[in-house]
Amino acid sequence: MTLAILDARQWQQTVDLRSGRPADANGPLVPMVGEVLGRHPFPGDRDDASNAWVTDTALDFVRHYDPGFAFLSYSQQYYSSRYGALPPEVRRAYVDNAFAEAARFARESGMTTVLVGTGELVPAADAIDLEDLDGLAVSSNWCAHYAGIYNPSRRDLERLSRHPHITRVVSKKDILEQFGGGPDDGSRLPDHMAVAARGCYFKGTSLRRLVMIPEPSDVIPVSQNLGPAPTILDIRPRLLDLLAAGNRVALAIIEGVGCSEFPAPYTTCENGKDWLRYEPGDAQFLAISTGRHPIFQHNGGYRYYLDDGERKPYPFSGYFKELPDGVIGKAYPGRSIAVGNRSMFMHVCTGCDVTCECFARNLYNQGLMAVLFRQDKAVS
Amino acid sequence: MECDYCERRCRLGPESFGYCKMYRDEGGRATERFPDKWCAYGISRVETIPFYHAWPGARCLVVGTAGCNFNCRYCSNSEVVKVDPAGLMDVMLDIAPASLVDKARKHGCHAIVFAVNEPTVSLPTLARVADEARRAGIVMGCLTNGYGTPKSTKQLGEIFSFLNISLKGLSREFCVDYLSIPDAGPILRNIEALAATCHVEVTTPVIEGVNDHELDDMAAFLAGIRRDIPWHVFRLLPEYRMREEDYPSIEVVSAKVEAVGKRLDYVYFHNFIGSRWVNTLCPSCGAVAIERHSLGCGGDKLDTFHAAGGSCPLCGGRIALHGDHVAWNAKEATA
Repeated sequence: MTLAILDARQWQQTVDLRSGRPADANGPLVPMVGEVLGRHPFPGDRDDASNAWVTDTALDFVRHYDPGFAFLSYSQQYYSSRYGALPPEVRRAYVDNAFAEAARFARESGMTTVLVGTGELVPAADAIDLEDLDGLAVSSNWCAHYAGIYNPSRRDLERLSRHPHITRVVSKKDILEQFGGGPDDGSRLPDHMAVAARGCYFKGTSLRRLVMIPEPSDVIPVSQNLGPAPTILDIRPRLLDLLAAGNRVALAIIEGVGCSEFPAPYTTCENGKDWLRYEPGDAQFLAISTGRHPIFQHNGGYRYYLDDGERKPYPFSGYFKELPDGVIGKAYPGRSIAVGNRSMFMHVCTGCDVTCECFARNLYNQGLMAVLFRQDKAVS
Repeated sequence: MECDYCERRCRLGPESFGYCKMYRDEGGRATERFPDKWCAYGISRVETIPFYHAWPGARCLVVGTAGCNFNCRYCSNSEVVKVDPAGLMDVMLDIAPASLVDKARKHGCHAIVFAVNEPTVSLPTLARVADEARRAGIVMGCLTNGYGTPKSTKQLGEIFSFLNISLKGLSREFCVDYLSIPDAGPILRNIEALAATCHVEVTTPVIEGVNDHELDDMAAFLAGIRRDIPWHVFRLLPEYRMREEDYPSIEVVSAKVEAVGKRLDYVYFHNFIGSRWVNTLCPSCGAVAIERHSLGCGGDKLDTFHAAGGSCPLCGGRIALHGDHVAWNAKEATA
């Protein structure tokens, strides 16, 4: 059984991650993890102290668990820019703070810290309204550039192909061909995917006004200490090489930052394949962590709510009904941790022994969740 | 003219729009300024909203407009509710009632639930949606602060068959300081009126040291109407002007809720992750009739429904339900 500790501030509950039901809090790491959560209440996604929370919490785990690998995400500057009209100097200060916190982690932990920016943000200029299609258009709060199209009429497809803010409409058949899928790989693909132009976004279901959106970038910056990584899929094998060579390594994802704001020496890697460019989100995290393109499972157009019925497994893992395989934490035999203010991605997309994430949904701060995938390494 | 949608009874003119800024005087009639404009829609579980005793398991199209007639210190949706609605129109969705209902059908929804802001500020639009929904066999529910006039409250009860009414506090001091209304009298009156004709659940956000001493009086009031009104006691999530304040203690509030909860058949304490107080227990024998997970305001989930036919699985006693258990993907085939 994989345990999760839910921390709602001064109150904790331990559950079985898969069933979501209360479970006995046992195992060698449970007391330590519960205490770490209690020492570091989450300040909020957009709070100025949010990125410092990542570093403080991760360092606490380093002191008490001594991991060889750490997967971190620093996301405050992304959330704040996405929904707030920040003066340039404030944006700059937020980005500087994210890198300063990653540097503090590197300094105090002594780990070789690889930095990855997830791409540029651009002003949210033009909204694309697909409300009057004959078929169904599905877009999500957190995915600006891709919409799933279901049961489109001929009129719909003509309209989409002529839309000035849509660059491409790709059929399920073409996606399967382009990404090497077989007939069984299409069940979570929409009939078509519509792709928005740079600066444009599909009018979604968010209550909040979008201010900045992902470009999304053709290439993303990776600090030079990783060595060459021509594509996003090469980050994982390079990290595993460093770890296999005996290095203690941290991967710090700095969200909403592209080459133009990256302060450290970097190389670039391709941020996608063919027409697909990753936005900060589940698919990008999984591409980095697994070294594979996860488009068949996570594509921005899937109707995730179909999976959300009674007895859905992993009820505290958002829309995930199964935990992806091949994630980097599972591939590394030594001790590993993940800490980040990117909520459920920290446990779902990393697979590290101990993960700690803000339990924030749509920016509402509910507290924290830690997941203990492996406790056996604590006694080895 | 005087607006008769809510108990503020604002003076309206052609260019004066009242407290909620959603109505104007047009030829002596209070008329909506922004009909058919929606701030958002999304798919959600009925338990998320929360409704624990109406159509358990149902998939809902959750919608909202803009504006509110309250000014709660802890508003969770201030970015939509606390700004001038006119300034939101460039991002609002323009969806006619028939199209909105069609959207619910295409998404395989059993219900349309109004849950972002206060429905009283958009009542004419909602009445037209209800006409369309009725024809399509889609039921409608809402969250409301219950501050409508008797006339609009009657209309609210005709539009929505299930409502969750917020009973935020009882004292005049609390109403003035935390909600910006003079008193809770109209809310108590409307809970009683709506409970007579509709399915009603009640929600109370608790602010430790501020309104928690009123819990027993609230429970007594609800029990005086009907013991089987489901009562959701929320741990306050400090937002908006209370963002810097402490979260209420779960141990302290849960003890108070348990102390007063015996007055009612169904009392829940949630709005935080992992709450242990979200299952429905049979009022007769205490057996678990409905199991849920609490994810805080990110949404509660139905885990397992044991109360087929509205009966306790152990003793057969009655479990109060409005509507049947709905399988999550039941309407997919016709979507």
